[in-house]
Amino acid sequence: MKQAVILLNPRLLSFRNKGFAKDRSIRLIIFAAIGISFWAGIFAICYRVLMYFQSVEGLGNMLAYKLLSMILLIFFSLLIFSSILTSLSNLYMSKDLTLIHSLPVPSEKIFLAKWIESTIDSSWMVVVYTIPVFISYGIVFETGPFFYMAIVLTLFPLCIIASALSSIMVLVIVIILPASRIRSVFVFLGLALLVIIYITFRLLRPERLVNPENFASLLGYLNNLSTPSYPLLPSTWAFDSLKAALTGDVSCSLFNVALSMSCAAFLIFSGILIAKAIYFKGFSKSQASMTWLFQHKKERLDKLFSFLSGPTKSFVVKEIKTFLRDQAQWSQIFLIGALIVIYIYNFSVLPIEHSPIKTVYLQNLLSFLNVALAAFVLISVTARFAFPSISIEGSAFWIVRSAPIPIRTFLRIKFFIYLFPLLILSEILIIVTNLLLNVTPFMMYLSIITLFFLTPGVVSLGIGLGAAYPDFNSENPAHTVTGFGGLVFMIISAAYIGAVIVLEAGPVYTIFMSGIRNENLSYFQLLWIIGSFFTAFLISMLAIILPIRFGEKRLVAHSFAGL
Amino acid sequence: MINLINLSKYFGHIKAVDRLNLSVSSGELFGFIGQNGAGKTTTIQMIAGLLAPTEGSVIIDGIDMAKEPEKAKKKIGLIPDRPFLYEKLTGMEFLKFTADLYEVSKEVFLENTEKLLTMFSLIDRAHELIESYSHGMKQRLVMSAALLHEPPLIVVDEPMVGLDPRGIKLVTNLFRSLVAKGTTIFMSTHTLRLAEDVCDRIGIINNGKLIATGTVNELKHTAQIGEADLEEVFFQLTKEEISL
Ligand SMILES: Nc1ncnc2c1ncn2[C@@H]1O[C@H](COP(=O)(O)OP(=O)(O)OP(=O)(O)O)[C@@H](O)[C@H]1O
Ligand SMILES: [Mg+2]
Repeated sequence: MKQAVILLNPRLLSFRNKGFAKDRSIRLIIFAAIGISFWAGIFAICYRVLMYFQSVEGLGNMLAYKLLSMILLIFFSLLIFSSILTSLSNLYMSKDLTLIHSLPVPSEKIFLAKWIESTIDSSWMVVVYTIPVFISYGIVFETGPFFYMAIVLTLFPLCIIASALSSIMVLVIVIILPASRIRSVFVFLGLALLVIIYITFRLLRPERLVNPENFASLLGYLNNLSTPSYPLLPSTWAFDSLKAALTGDVSCSLFNVALSMSCAAFLIFSGILIAKAIYFKGFSKSQASMTWLFQHKKERLDKLFSFLSGPTKSFVVKEIKTFLRDQAQWSQIFLIGALIVIYIYNFSVLPIEHSPIKTVYLQNLLSFLNVALAAFVLISVTARFAFPSISIEGSAFWIVRSAPIPIRTFLRIKFFIYLFPLLILSEILIIVTNLLLNVTPFMMYLSIITLFFLTPGVVSLGIGLGAAYPDFNSENPAHTVTGFGGLVFMIISAAYIGAVIVLEAGPVYTIFMSGIRNENLSYFQLLWIIGSFFTAFLISMLAIILPIRFGEKRLVAHSFAGL
Repeated sequence: MINLINLSKYFGHIKAVDRLNLSVSSGELFGFIGQNGAGKTTTIQMIAGLLAPTEGSVIIDGIDMAKEPEKAKKKIGLIPDRPFLYEKLTGMEFLKFTADLYEVSKEVFLENTEKLLTMFSLIDRAHELIESYSHGMKQRLVMSAALLHEPPLIVVDEPMVGLDPRGIKLVTNLFRSLVAKGTTIFMSTHTLRLAEDVCDRIGIINNGKLIATGTVNELKHTAQIGEADLEEVFFQLTKEEISL
């Protein structure tokens, strides 16, 4: 254990050194402010929902419990997923591993140190943002202090179970895969993610909660709410423990805590034993890089882009090849796949036909909501791919810097490379969901045009801010988006999309209403509508042009360590 | 070919390069030596346009790097000290990338890659991912890429790191023959024997300041040492500077 602690020291020290750097303090404050407002928002929403549930005669507690079990299930799946990713990178991909493995420390100790690191890495954020949910339960149910203790007692083993399970999974996957395919791990992970999401959704069946058909027979609804939970799932133990704590049943709560703790302990020891047997073997295997031979094919990509100028073509070809050969990159497409499946799934189960309020207002609202949702999918995909695309140049960035092309051209090339696929993606998304929603032709065209302008704006923000806040030394460039620059990107893009939608929604509502009332638009209204659309257009143009300029300026001034 | 005027770079309070004035003429092989952290890499990064100087300017063949960076960069072949490359491309694809970037014609590309890859013994591995190359192989590939567009100026940061004896000999001969054909080479190195053997002129940098320039003989004169090799000159001059 002592050796494991020593191995954790460098991490702690660099964290401390980073935290105390001067220019970080402003960022820290911004981060903290945003974090706290999110936290407060979650708390407020949860509190309101629970108060509403309490007001539902007879059903209140049941609804609250159902929600709690859902939250815990989601919590657990999120933990599993994020710890698979972090333990994979901490155990096999970290740059310090070659150094650590040369130290006179047994491999299971290294495993333990790295496992502790990834447990903290993967769970702190999930924990921090679910705490307000649990606290609001405590307040609404007016529990004693034991409940708050129970929160800690249940979440702690749950995090450990998730992270231990994931690291055991990773240990085994790496051993099973043949060495030449070791980098395919990410493909497996992508698939694992899809499966996890599918299972979570099947277990949850969230549509049942909102589907009014079930309200038709109260009996059926109640039946549905009290579907037996899955007794072997760790999240069920956590649920049982918290539920007991809510009702003041201390011994039942502690029993479930003990159950979780013993499971956690068992998993830790199994993990260490398994690591002792196979961790080093897997690590040596993972060090081998692909030695495929790329036969000198008829350079198809080169031909395809031969209409471009030399420098432009060279970057386009390089970008595409690098992307396709880097499985850590393209396997994230599964992530997008999952996102889109959830997105469309939500629409296909949305009980619109049964909605009692079937008004123009609602229709209008829904289609704008749809544009907003599609735009948020766009933001997250951009954050995943376009934003890190500058940092991903990494140590090879000197090639760009010494190349006879301006940084601006380089950024523009990046912009167009990511714009085309993202534009296709967002247009497909909006068309399919609009068809599912049965929107009016007018709204269909409007959404298509809106996204046609939103997409380049968001991509430009991603590339520009990615260039303004690059991290060329990052071990995993995809994670740069969790840094300060990524945060700025998310906030500005969200504000941008929000502004455009607000600017469009008002006029559209006016047009609809006047259509219904068979009135002509007044001169003033017409002016307002045109002005509003024009402003939206103007903002989009600014969003396309300014970020790249900003990124260029910052990137040129960026001095990167080492050549 | 290279004109450095009052070139300075400050990193916070560290003066990595401090008011450096230097000119290197065409067809000259200039050696740049100095202790670790003396400012060699920083100078080279500014010459190659990777870093913007805090003060002063870099003129390449009469072109100001700050005003027309693309035009200036086109004249340079850069070989950095650590060969970071696009690991997911093959050696051949990387060369093609460089050729397109510097707009080398197809004929010249085919001719030069063949020649360079054979010379650097990479021809058999050209279609493997760079990821699987050894350090020395990557270094050889960077050199091939830098020479591919036949630049009139080659800037090299510690060329011999990671090369085997045969590679060192190869590069030494190559540099000599390039200089004979009129190419200018600016090279930083820790291998003083190499500097003594191949360089026409040598500059010594210490704490960001250029403390001496000249041929080996001139430097011996400056250091007031009669029969000594460059190593002793180097120790003498850098010691003096430190004791000041
Ligand atoms: N990106 C940077 N940020 C801050 N300081 C830097 C940076 N790059 C270099 N320095 C500092 O500038 C000085 C000169 O560094 P440089 O890399 O030019 O030395 P060098 O002569 O190439 O040394 P070596 O022989 O070790 O390669 C050093 O003091 C170094 O600490
Ligand atoms: Mg150096």
